Amino acid sequence: MNDTLQEWFATGAVASGMLGCGMRLPDATCLSYSFNEICSRECLDQVLHRLAETTTFLSGQGLAPRRLTWTFERGQLFLFPRPDGALLVLATQPNTEAAENVDELAEEFFSLNAAN
Amino acid sequence: MNAPAKQYQLLFVDDDGDFLAMIRDFFASLGEKIWQIHCVTSADQALELLKVRQIDLVVSDVNMPMLDGIQFLHILNRSHPDLKKAVVTSNATEEKRSACLAEGAELFIEKPRSPEGLRSIFIMLEELITWTPREGFQGVLRRVGLQDVIQMECLGRNSSILEIHNQQLRGRVYIEDGRIIHAQAGDLVGENAFYQLLSLPSGEFQLHPFELPAKRSIDGQYEFLLMEAARVRDETMAAQAPANGAVSSPETKPAFESSTTAFHLAARVEETLVCSGQGEPLYVWQCPDTSARVALLQNVAQQAASLGQLIPLGNFDRLEIQLADSRVVAQARADRMVFVRVSSGNEKSTIPSDE
Repeated sequence: MNDTLQEWFATGAVASGMLGCGMRLPDATCLSYSFNEICSRECLDQVLHRLAETTTFLSGQGLAPRRLTWTFERGQLFLFPRPDGALLVLATQPNTEAAENVDELAEEFFSLNAAN
Repeated sequence: MNAPAKQYQLLFVDDDGDFLAMIRDFFASLGEKIWQIHCVTSADQALELLKVRQIDLVVSDVNMPMLDGIQFLHILNRSHPDLKKAVVTSNATEEKRSACLAEGAELFIEKPRSPEGLRSIFIMLEELITWTPREGFQGVLRRVGLQDVIQMECLGRNSSILEIHNQQLRGRVYIEDGRIIHAQAGDLVGENAFYQLLSLPSGEFQLHPFELPAKRSIDGQYEFLLMEAARVRDETMAAQAPANGAVSSPETKPAFESSTTAFHLAARVEETLVCSGQGEPLYVWQCPDTSARVALLQNVAQQAASLGQLIPLGNFDRLEIQLADSRVVAQARADRMVFVRVSSGNEKSTIPSDE
């Protein structure tokens, strides 16, 4: 995974209310960052694998997602699949800056990837 | 020149011949030429007469041999649903009253014992027979789910005002062409008012003809509003029942307020599936493959449980799936699972396309 992505994860993705974020590459390797103790890197890796399964399942039903939003009582998990099979996950607290700006963060992330 | 007054046809059904004779004499004089009174002594005679006579009001006794008044009302409800019905009985128990009203009787009156009592009955029956139902209907929430009524109005693309009240609260929900456009309840307006009204445990409602509200405070899809209302109601009930072990979190403010209302008016429901927690379909509309959708909901339930174990974010509420041209909301709870797909209309997405 290139340095630009790692740098973006470590700094660019930091927003108020961001619990953690991560990326799963098509070869199933993961890079995750935790910004809150309730959301460890290991957990985020597991979340990414789970969400990859769901994305595959949905695609099998003709529902190829551009974004998945899992809403829980105290937080949300946003998943953005990339055409090449890579996945971006953002875990946020509700009604926070991070939750309200996930599309912008994802767009930034995708543009970063396009440039690298 | 004035048009001749309508002559109303009243049919009295009672096995007490003396009572019928008294009714005929007394009411004929009071009703003059306005009432034409028919009397029969059994329900089967009444049904025969109804085949050949246009009757405006049936007044029946309850205790009759063979076919009693409650069964008679039940049959009338099916064979003559628009016929006005009243019950006059000497055995006016609360149980019989409830049964008769449930079978469609508009009046339940105890048999009179004096001329004054007969006069009172005459006035009540006259009021009933000349009463013209307003456009709309009414019901009781204990018997008909408020959500069902709203869903019927929305699915039928009707325009109406649903007035809801109980002892604590009174409010209105405005539905225009099948869309919920406004709600107010007490000091609340908009979605909060809507959720408050649908959280009422019981009460009464009337459906009135539509009038434009002073403002439009709601623009969400009715399916999502109903689902959210159900969630709010569940939370309210849980908060009100701590003794049962229900936990009310101080952080139960919905995490998706903005996304719930993000569906534009241009959006259109493409398919809907409601099934039990075990996956038994309860309501299916335009699903291309119901079993596949049930499998999807079960998968969502499993994954939500797994995700909840990995990161402690509280109870799962819903999964929203943004597709290229539509959007899906999937809810999976122990007692109910819901799948709704809505076309996105002109919704603009910042997510890059994979086409």
